[in-house]
Amino acid sequence: MPFESGQVPQGEARTRLVMQYYPYLLMFVVFDVVGMFLFAWGMSYRTIPLDASFLVLLFLFLLAAPLGYALHLALHRENW
Amino acid sequence: MVNLPATPADILPFIIALVTSHTFITIVLFPGFIHLMLVVMFLTWYERKVLARIQLRIGPLYAGGPGGILQPIADGVKLIFKEVMIPYKANKPLFIWIPLALVFFAAVPFAVIPFGQHWVIANLDVGLVFVFALTSLFPSMILIFAWASNSKYPFLGGLRSLFQQVAYEIPMWISALSVVLLAGSLSLVDIVNAQQKIWFMVPAFLSFVVFFIAIMAELERLPFDLPEAEPELVAGWYTESSGAIFMVLFLALYMKLYLMSSLVTVLFLGGWWGPAFLPQPVWFILKTLIVATFIIIPRGVYARIRVDMLIKLGWTRLLILALANVFLTVLLLNTGVLSMWGL
Repeated sequence: MPFESGQVPQGEARTRLVMQYYPYLLMFVVFDVVGMFLFAWGMSYRTIPLDASFLVLLFLFLLAAPLGYALHLALHRENW
Repeated sequence: MVNLPATPADILPFIIALVTSHTFITIVLFPGFIHLMLVVMFLTWYERKVLARIQLRIGPLYAGGPGGILQPIADGVKLIFKEVMIPYKANKPLFIWIPLALVFFAAVPFAVIPFGQHWVIANLDVGLVFVFALTSLFPSMILIFAWASNSKYPFLGGLRSLFQQVAYEIPMWISALSVVLLAGSLSLVDIVNAQQKIWFMVPAFLSFVVFFIAIMAELERLPFDLPEAEPELVAGWYTESSGAIFMVLFLALYMKLYLMSSLVTVLFLGGWWGPAFLPQPVWFILKTLIVATFIIIPRGVYARIRVDMLIKLGWTRLLILALANVFLTVLLLNTGVLSMWGL
C-alpha cells in the first residue's frame, strides 16, 4: 500500500461518517427525477401542442419558489 | 451482415468478409478499441506536456520519438511489471473488479458517439441519455472502490466524489436539455445533423458555459478535483491503487476525459461538420482535442475550491443559468429567430 508506507494500517478505516450537506442531497433526489422527465418533454417538444409545453414551463416556473426556499435552508450552515 | 460459412472452403472468405465489414472496422479500428487506446495514450503524454509548458518545464523527453511521445508505452510497461499491492483487510474482489468496471463504463458510451456521418457504431434513439446513464455510475463505483481499499483517505475521497455528483449532475442535464430542445431528438447523430448550419454553441451559449463547467467537475479537473485533492487526501480515492490497478484506473479516467470532450463537441461544437478539405473524423478529433486542451489547462492555473463552495456554485449559479437558457431556447424557437438556420 503506497499510503502508510507498507505498514499494516492502524485504526479503523470503515468508520461511521456524517453525511453532510443533507438539504442538498434531498434537493438532488427531487431534481434528478424532474430532470429525466424534462428530457422526455424536450425530445417531443416539436410534436406536442404549444399549450402542453407551456404547462411544463409553468411547472418549472412554479418550481422556482420551493427551490428558492430549499436553497435558503441549504445555505445555512446549521442545516448541513 | 455476413453470411455464416456453409462449407470448409468458405471459412477463409468468411473471415476476410468479416474483418473488412463496416461493423467490424467501426468496433475494432476507428471509433472503437484501437483508436480509443491510441488517443488515450496520446492524451496522457499531451497533458504532461501542456502542464510542463505552463510551469516553464519541458516534460517527458527521453522516451523515444519527438518530445518523448513514447512515454505512455514506457509508463505502461513499468506499471504492468510493478507488484500489485492489495491492502490488508481490503475487499479483494471489489478492489480488482471496480477499475475494470470503470473502464467498461467509460468505453461503452463511445458506441453512440458519432465521429462522422457513417463513423458511428450504434445510432441509438436515446444516445444522450445512454451516455449520461453510464457516466453517472462513476461516483458510486468510486465510492465502492474507496470503501473496498480499507483506508481512511480513499474513503473520504469517495464521499467527496458523491457530493460532487450532487453539485454538477443536475446543471449538466438541464444544460443538455437546451440542445435537445433545439435538435428535437436525443440521438447524437440527429443532434449533430441539426448543427449543419449553426453550431449550438451560438443559440445556447449559457448552456455551453454551464455544461463545460459541469464536465470539469465530473472529470475531477483542477478547480474541482476535490475527490483526489493531493495536499489534503494523499491522492484521494485512488491512494491505495498501485501497479496494474493504477494503470487501469488512469485508462478509465483519461477515456472519460476523451468521452466528455467529444460529448461537448457533439452537443455544442457541431460534431463532424467543418470545411470539406479535411475528412469528417479529422474535424471531430481536432475539435475534441481542442476542448480537451481547455479542460487540461486549468490544472496548471487555478487553485482548488472547497466542497461547500462547489455545491453552492452548482445549485445557485449553474442550475439557475441552465434553467434560464431552457426558457430562452423556448422563446427563440417560438419567435422563429432560428428559422433561417433551419431549426
